[in-house]
Amino acid sequence: MKLVAFLLVLLFSFESSSKKLFNAKSTNLDNGLTLVVVENSRAPVVAQMIWYNFGSSIEKRGKSGLAHFMEHLMFKGTKKHPKSFFSDFLSKVGGSENAFTSYDYTAYYQIFPSQHVEKLIELEADRMKNLTLTKKNVEIEKQVILEERFQRIESDPSAQLDESMRSILFPNHYYGRPIIGWRHEIENLSYKDVIDFYKELYNPQNATLILSGDVKFDDAKKLVKKYYKDYKSPIKLEQINLENPDLKTSTNVELKNENVKQPIWKRIYRTKSYGSSIEESIALDLGIKILAGGTSSILYEEFVNKKKIFSMIGGFYQGLARGEGYIYLYAIPNNEIDHVKINYLLEDFLINVDSEITEEKLKLEKKKYYYDSVYGMDGILKPAEAIGEALTVGISLKDIENWNKKLSEVNLKMVKKELKEFIKNKNFVTGSLKN
Amino acid sequence: MKLIFVILLFFFNSSHSFEYEKLETKSGIKFWFVEDKSIPIISVSFSFRGGSSIDFSEKNGISNLMTSLMDEGTSKLTSSDFKNQMKLNGMRLNLSSQKDKIDGSFQIIASQLEQGFELFYQALNHPRFDEEDIERVRKQIISSIKLDESDLSTLASNKFNQFFFNEHNFSRNVKGSINTISNIDRYDLINFHKNAFQKNNVIIGVAGNIKKKKITELIEKVFGNLENSEKIPPVKKFTRLAKGEETYKMKTPQTSVLFGHPGLARNNENFFALRIANYIFGGGGFQSRLYKNVREKKGLVYSIYSYLLSYDNDGVIVGGFQTRNKSVYQTIKNVKNEWKRLQSKGISRKEFENAKAYFKGSFTRNFTSTISIARLLQIVQYFDLGEDYFEKRDEIINNLELKEVNEIISKFFSSDELFFMIVGEPEG
Repeated sequence: MKLVAFLLVLLFSFESSSKKLFNAKSTNLDNGLTLVVVENSRAPVVAQMIWYNFGSSIEKRGKSGLAHFMEHLMFKGTKKHPKSFFSDFLSKVGGSENAFTSYDYTAYYQIFPSQHVEKLIELEADRMKNLTLTKKNVEIEKQVILEERFQRIESDPSAQLDESMRSILFPNHYYGRPIIGWRHEIENLSYKDVIDFYKELYNPQNATLILSGDVKFDDAKKLVKKYYKDYKSPIKLEQINLENPDLKTSTNVELKNENVKQPIWKRIYRTKSYGSSIEESIALDLGIKILAGGTSSILYEEFVNKKKIFSMIGGFYQGLARGEGYIYLYAIPNNEIDHVKINYLLEDFLINVDSEITEEKLKLEKKKYYYDSVYGMDGILKPAEAIGEALTVGISLKDIENWNKKLSEVNLKMVKKELKEFIKNKNFVTGSLKN
Repeated sequence: MKLIFVILLFFFNSSHSFEYEKLETKSGIKFWFVEDKSIPIISVSFSFRGGSSIDFSEKNGISNLMTSLMDEGTSKLTSSDFKNQMKLNGMRLNLSSQKDKIDGSFQIIASQLEQGFELFYQALNHPRFDEEDIERVRKQIISSIKLDESDLSTLASNKFNQFFFNEHNFSRNVKGSINTISNIDRYDLINFHKNAFQKNNVIIGVAGNIKKKKITELIEKVFGNLENSEKIPPVKKFTRLAKGEETYKMKTPQTSVLFGHPGLARNNENFFALRIANYIFGGGGFQSRLYKNVREKKGLVYSIYSYLLSYDNDGVIVGGFQTRNKSVYQTIKNVKNEWKRLQSKGISRKEFENAKAYFKGSFTRNFTSTISIARLLQIVQYFDLGEDYFEKRDEIINNLELKEVNEIISKFFSSDELFFMIVGEPEG
């Protein structure tokens, strides 16, 4: 059980742009549950993932951490399958499992031999509605979660800096609140909070079930109907997506800690997401890859190879979000350097970067994008992750399947336009980690 | 090309079978191969025995510096040209230095086969080792050493190795120290490269969409020209692992604790018994006694685990957790009590049967991607588990008797041999 704000590279090909990406089959039950199946019979193994379309997004004020808390408690057993029956069964058949919570979603998955697919469908369905929780479960698990917060955030100065930067960058949005929750609010979450949250939100209408691997669509459909059809969905969940104001101040946040032996500079920008425009977001993604991705990027060439100011500089775009996306940049200086000076160096360089964005560089990044999509099909969990994340943040299956076509249409002009906007973007927060 | 023999692997469902073949190239390199047509990818997993254990002590970290330079250009291509060629052909190349070996993986999209293997050949046989690239990568490693020192769990793991392995050279950091890696020059790297990558020292597994004749030629091309000099001497057994407790103080709200105990070599006849014991103790995720009794019942930790670490010719058991400073000694006591209970009372029939079932059922998960298949083929050779391992594995598990496993446990697990490394500010 872990929590992630993780980055899934969407698996899209463009070379054969008429071909569907996953050939996924999909259906909806009357109660609103979405089922997606990606058939792949190379090994007798199935991955089951269930994606709920809420994460920390849905928490009320003062209740931060509740979605993640709930995720932990989903492993505590039901009336029919009490205590650790689910995990025990899965282990006995040689399976593995985990779960994660993010801002926009909560997901659970198992990988197991395909002959047990019916039982695993039954078990996942069972805990959507029939969880039995005791006050003691809830109290002990709260201690576990506090330890988790201490492990991930309180003992890690870099994570504390990120938490602070996001809270400034998203002043009016749940993206500014830590997924795991603020410590003082976790401490006050109650048994009643948990039960209310579960009853209100865990229902078929809020879920997408994905089966990937050695399973046939028709069989999956029958089984999923059998175990979910009697579940009712209450009124449709309303996703509130507040907008953030433009930042009027430039903000440099600093965290000093005696354990920091290597200073780090970072910056997070608020920007568009795939939800607002898929084409523009792909162009932006390619642009940021050319500018800051890996060890042959423009920034790396300039500041690591040529100027030798940093040992590393890089960044990425994350646009798979129901609200706004973000761009993350970081740099690791070789020698002591004032962090404000880094701001100037970078901004001066970016103003004139346009001429370095060439057809040839775009071609390379598009190739890599395509090949990454091929690698993404080598396995059974990766397709389920990619489809689940995209669907849950509001991208349609049709758009996912035809992504390659959109990708092939991205040209240099579009990429330059996105980078120009990025360079003008004033909605960012800069952070420095120091000794 | 000589085909030595073929073993068919059958899963319980007879429609799923993989053919694994043992192949040999014309200069005598043996490797294992599975043809997998389900996806247009070829994956190669390889390792060279030696790794950082053969670093000279005043140049410790050279193995890691060298592997970090393997994608930084060839005699024909500069660093950035090489990286662009990798992108253009969808090639993936990763090499990492470990205590007892250099581990590597190479992947290529089937349509770019020739270009990919040519780049792989160039990288492995004719690395550029350009002065400027060396300086850049050296600085990156220095940064990463400083980042490791700033990170509680990595720092704890390095401190653990330093004390636990004691006089054995595994106590050294694979990355070396800022001092020792500053001593390394281009000439050292060229020499080390020659020593580290020897033909008689490589172990290879391959899976993917390619014919055996073709892959045999390509493996010969990449590995066939490496030198065949003296065999690297085997890594020494662990004879003096640390016991007791060490504390390293640093200011932090949570303390990281790692523990260690002697283990068994991977090809030891009792290894599977130990594996079952460890699964029940701390290896089995949500199933383990440590998870259930320290996390689920007491809420003392977020994560707690143990695992078996297998090296070239010996092994250890390692475990760990993080907890707030006030509960460090309480949690250590819990781990010790679980250890004693295991040693004195052994495991129950139910735990035993569940663990056996887990190990039988989980094996097929290795067959879901070309890289995991290639890696499995490589590992089985690395630890010398035998050509019939895939057939024999279920039999080994089925033949285990509870009584026998408990006897091994009572002899093997000793509280006196446990070592705890405590990094943080434990209270009390």
